[in-house]
Amino acid sequence: MIRKTGVKRTWLAATVLAVGSLIATSLPAHAETGVTGSEIKLGITLPLTGAASPGYNKIGNAMNAYFKYVNDNGGVYGRKVTLIQKNDEYSPQLSIAKTNELILKDKVFALVGPLGTANFTSVHKSVGIAKRGVPSLFLNTGFSGFANKKTYPTSFMILPSYAMEAKIISQFIKENHAGKKLGIVYQNDEFGIDGMGAFKAAGIKFDVSVPYTSGTQSAATAQTWVSQLAAGGAQVVVFFGVTSATAPLLAVAAGAKYSPQWILGSVGADPLTLRALGVPLAVLNGAQTPAGNPSPNDTSDEYVKQFQEINTKYNAGTAFDDYVLQGMNIGLMTVQGLRAAGPNPTRKGLIKAMETKGSTFASVAYSPLGYSQTSNVGHTGYYMAVMDANGDRKPFGGKVKLYTTDSGSGPVVVSTFKRPAMPAKGLPSNS
Amino acid sequence: MRIFKFKRSLALAAVTALAATLLVTAPTVANAAPVCDGKVPVQTCGGATSDGAPYAMMVPANFNGTVYLYSHGYRPNIAIPAGIPVYGGYTITNTPQPGPNATVIGALLAKGYAVVGSGFARQGWNADSAIKTNVELVDLFKKQFTKTTKVVAWGESLGGFITQSLAEKHPDLFSAAAPLCMASDVTPLSTMAGDALWGIKTFFDPSIKGGNYSAGAAGYAEAMGDLVKVFTVIGTLQAAFAANPSTPAWPATSKVPDAIKGIPSRSALVMVALMAGIPMQSAHFDSTSAPAGLPASNTLSFQVAINPAFAALENVANAAALAVLATHDLELQAGGAIFDNTKTDYAARIAEEQFIWASALSGNSGTAGLLSVLAASPRAKADPAAAAKLKTLTSHSGKVEIPTILFTGVADPVTAAGNQQSVADKYATYWAEKWEAVKKAKGYKRPAYNQLVLWNFTPEKYTKYTAAGAPDTSVPAATGTNHCNFTTSQYMAIADLLAYASANGKNLSGGPMLTKIRKAGNMTYDRGYSAPRLKYYGDN
Repeated sequence: MIRKTGVKRTWLAATVLAVGSLIATSLPAHAETGVTGSEIKLGITLPLTGAASPGYNKIGNAMNAYFKYVNDNGGVYGRKVTLIQKNDEYSPQLSIAKTNELILKDKVFALVGPLGTANFTSVHKSVGIAKRGVPSLFLNTGFSGFANKKTYPTSFMILPSYAMEAKIISQFIKENHAGKKLGIVYQNDEFGIDGMGAFKAAGIKFDVSVPYTSGTQSAATAQTWVSQLAAGGAQVVVFFGVTSATAPLLAVAAGAKYSPQWILGSVGADPLTLRALGVPLAVLNGAQTPAGNPSPNDTSDEYVKQFQEINTKYNAGTAFDDYVLQGMNIGLMTVQGLRAAGPNPTRKGLIKAMETKGSTFASVAYSPLGYSQTSNVGHTGYYMAVMDANGDRKPFGGKVKLYTTDSGSGPVVVSTFKRPAMPAKGLPSNS
Repeated sequence: MRIFKFKRSLALAAVTALAATLLVTAPTVANAAPVCDGKVPVQTCGGATSDGAPYAMMVPANFNGTVYLYSHGYRPNIAIPAGIPVYGGYTITNTPQPGPNATVIGALLAKGYAVVGSGFARQGWNADSAIKTNVELVDLFKKQFTKTTKVVAWGESLGGFITQSLAEKHPDLFSAAAPLCMASDVTPLSTMAGDALWGIKTFFDPSIKGGNYSAGAAGYAEAMGDLVKVFTVIGTLQAAFAANPSTPAWPATSKVPDAIKGIPSRSALVMVALMAGIPMQSAHFDSTSAPAGLPASNTLSFQVAINPAFAALENVANAAALAVLATHDLELQAGGAIFDNTKTDYAARIAEEQFIWASALSGNSGTAGLLSVLAASPRAKADPAAAAKLKTLTSHSGKVEIPTILFTGVADPVTAAGNQQSVADKYATYWAEKWEAVKKAKGYKRPAYNQLVLWNFTPEKYTKYTAAGAPDTSVPAATGTNHCNFTTSQYMAIADLLAYASANGKNLSGGPMLTKIRKAGNMTYDRGYSAPRLKYYGDN
């Protein structure tokens, strides 16, 4: 092929990979990458800045706060847990570079809570997570494709899949909004494939369907969404996207005095983030939403109470919301995974522990965990909630009615599952 | 609407750069003994092998017995008329090239190594004849310089393909080899070229022939016409992207349905890159960065939708023009049309990528719309005899017994990193088979793993913007991008690794190897890394 012999230049920035991969580890012979006698090093990629960052940028700090709490109470078998956060700005290409840094330079033991479907797809493809045997726990995405254990043998989901969520919303619509004109605004990517496929399979037909491309959400584009919904006479509108898109949708709709019954997907319904993005909380009043966890304001819940205390002490100044709750919970589950892997954890041992013991882990979410030797599915259900004028949510109908299902053709059922109790003082003692 | 003014046109790999770094004047009487100038401290010898291919040998007075045989890359086998963008004015040349560039050659000579290289008898895809030429050249060199003890092979691009072939077929002649930024086997190569051209034709200008060129002068005219049209499309898209990067207009030559033109043309170009296996990072576009000062929502959109489109534009520009030249050349050799996509499932081809590049493809509906165009468009059909002939040309088995060193950029737009990965995977399979055989025979000693795979990664972020916020393509190409974009330090590190492997019968390893590549800069050894293999290695 033709050669280009133009000016060449050494880019020092890239040496971070070159150098990082070269230095021989100084761990004891029995130790695993990212594990020393005193420390277990973990990594996460997520958007800390940029349009997609609101809310998500709290997750890493919340995890860190929980780990600090655990570390102050003896750590995991005496080792402190350290989390390295990398800002990928929600760019899939940048996720690759940042994950490479975590694995090659920082030499983390495992990835925990990596965020974004496109991001993790690109990382899995280009970084070779499975080939390297790097555990990637509690993916912060509901893309059901990640439940393919053959393709993602070292990865474990935590959220119910988007397909599960759509199936449960479908059931709820049938039970409570039958006969009304339906509209939907959805993110036009794998989010949409999962969700729209499940809505269709459940027999839900939307009268107005408004896709948007990730990255294009703004007040200007939201004007067109609202115009289409209003023109189509949608009485019940499902929103299936991220919070940075919910915000302009609700704000523009309120300005236009368009007030359908909103059903906000779990991903884009955090009230504090919406408020930070300029949405008056009052517009949330009456909005319905699938929820996996209790309200972050529900101090009668033992998990919420414990996590709030930890947040106050170790994450001072950060308002406690769904993202903080989710981050703390990932921390809690991570510690259980590390403990289950034993006093001398290996990557293989951690994966094995997730497969054999993961389904018994304590978690704030109400639904069962699906981990097994043949499944990397995380939580499997939602209850429907209603938001008030302060953005707080209460179970629809006054008490939690938990629906569980799968990502395929399985039925949506009302579950009587009782979640495990919060470990004493929020400190797991499992093995 | 944000309008960009580029500081200059997108950088394209220029064929004129081929005019080799060395011009060695020498007699070209076929099969005659080399004619040497006898100069000190370096004497230069020239001549021609039995096929008429001119060669050059450069031997220092303190020759230490090891000679580096270099195989140059692809040179078109047709002249390209002046006036054709970028490539215009190229004339066929078989000037011998004994090394990557004069600096590297000088450094090797200073260390006491000799260098040798042929200009090859035929240009274009010439691997089979070049292998024979090189074998003969090695024999000539050894006879002329009887002090020779070791011969190492190296080469770039098509020369990298030739080098790997030499290592596989002639382990008796060579003690080590380094195929750099190597081309793939000819079938995947022609598939990549064909998909890129067919994609451009289908979306942007159906008058592009894209292959099945006529014989003789008529075919030459058709290929040159295609070159002009491809560059016209690229230029039109570049102007449209610059004027309105969010929703750039479609070229007037496009005949896609009006409904499809509701999808930004940039998304169609991204589709072309993905379906052909062309990387989504280019010399100046990292598919990550946005200009400073944009509102946050526009920044994200630029990062995940606009920048990748520019990357596709820059890379497709490089790949498509070469696709025309290579397709014309290979059809001449095979005797008919070689590209066949009658059974290609483009939806399957981009099944994973469509999630990663969802925004650049304008979401699911954009992707579905573009795929519908591909599904509805007439497919190209190969001539069975020509396709069969193509399969008889040399291909790589990956089975080597001598130490080899592979090195390439992960975002090379012409010879995709997947080529190197394919050879690495084949060798891994071969090694595993050998090890199994040893175990079956109750042996315990693992066979030596004699392949060192190195990568040139891209920086994390590298797109530069002018003060006005326009992409600046006047800066040098980022490392890991462009075709065979290596530094002198990297070449010398490869040369040193070859010298070690040649002298010791195995590759340098461990700390010394890591130190060597670290000092060279931007060379990564990472056995956990796996470049995406091009989909058409799986034949869909």
